[in-house]
Amino acid sequence: MKTFRLRIVTPDRVVFDEAVRAVRFPGIDGSYGVLPNHAPLMTATAPGIVYITRTEGGAVEEMLISDGFAEVRSNVLTIAASAGELAYEIDVDKYRELERQAREKLAHRAELVDEEILVAEIQLRRALLGQTLGGRSRAPAPHSDAH
Amino acid sequence: MANIKELRGRIRSVANIAKITRAMEMVASMKLRRVQSRALSFRPYTEELQGLLGHLAEHVGHSPDRPLFQEREIKSIGVMLFTSDRGLCGAYNANVLAGVTRLRADLKARGLGDGSLKFFVVGRKGYSWLNRRGLHVERYYADPTLEALDFATARLASRDLVEAFTSAAVDEVRIMFTAFESVVRFVPRDERFLPVTVELGDHAGGHQNGDRLKGESGYLLEPSPHEIFSRILPKYLETVIFDAMLSSLASEMASRRMAMKGATDAATRMNKELKRVYNRARQESITKELLDIVGGANAVQ
Repeated sequence: MKTFRLRIVTPDRVVFDEAVRAVRFPGIDGSYGVLPNHAPLMTATAPGIVYITRTEGGAVEEMLISDGFAEVRSNVLTIAASAGELAYEIDVDKYRELERQAREKLAHRAELVDEEILVAEIQLRRALLGQTLGGRSRAPAPHSDAH
Repeated sequence: MANIKELRGRIRSVANIAKITRAMEMVASMKLRRVQSRALSFRPYTEELQGLLGHLAEHVGHSPDRPLFQEREIKSIGVMLFTSDRGLCGAYNANVLAGVTRLRADLKARGLGDGSLKFFVVGRKGYSWLNRRGLHVERYYADPTLEALDFATARLASRDLVEAFTSAAVDEVRIMFTAFESVVRFVPRDERFLPVTVELGDHAGGHQNGDRLKGESGYLLEPSPHEIFSRILPKYLETVIFDAMLSSLASEMASRRMAMKGATDAATRMNKELKRVYNRARQESITKELLDIVGGANAVQ
């Protein structure tokens, strides 16, 4: 089976570095799907969810990333994001707190300038995404023996 | 002839000093290891961004009209200064601050006074040094401390610096930090941060697949090279600041470790010396007492 290498790096660590079958990630102008032998590509990514498929028809793993950049060359997809967490690592409470803060800010919308509203809205979106992802994830299944 | 009781006290206090400095030495080397491992896990991200920037440069080329590349006549300078919060780390702070003194002299020669300097400071030592000399501190990053190694601080500082530059509050931004070359070598650096002078076009950076792109055809850049470029540049600047933070902190810890090792060695040496003097004094007094007793006994007979 054809695969390619996916690397996800953040300022804190290398979050992911393994061979995968298919990846879908959020670009700033729409979602991108990458399969083995994709043409060289460079783009900026938006905050959102990365979907990772290790094997054909296998389970889809999810990961939350914030803004960053993606590059495909020589059958390696590298995503450099300013933050990233695999779904099972997500601390749902942290995002709940984030949501609360964002909603509080938006409640006093009249006192904020446009930019602050935008930031709060993005924060809220991130908070909701984080909760959804974290909420439906289980502990990682051992995948080494499956393929 | 020092008195015996006094000597005993001095020996005890020197031994205590040695104990404390040894503990500090160990703490510093532990912290140094932590910083080093943090630096190691940070490197892939920087390398990736540098690689991307290098590849992009082939498509974007030099654009001197970009705001962050704009060279202006230098009338005021912003300085990002990295010092430590605490002392007892040898000449670490003095070395960095010597750079500031040099810059001031340099500016004076160009007819610019201290008023043309705006400082962005990390570390209490640097902050109080600047204040004592009445230099203008634009921003002091006190919390979280450098030791927390929080990337958000780098992001914030980078944003402040870019803002100061683009709003023309300053015409140049320099960073003064300490480069960590090895555990026994740390060199103060004074580097230009803005306007950007990245070596564009020479394929900078260490992407793991160092192969060059085969022509522009077939390489998708979305939405556009310029758009990506303008997004990536601020991120790249953040990593430059964080890198300076990491190497400064590593240098501080290494410098403190060396200073404390020196202090421990000196205290141990002194302790040995004092003990020798003490023993001699003790023996002398015993001999004297014996002589007295013998003398007394002889007199009685």
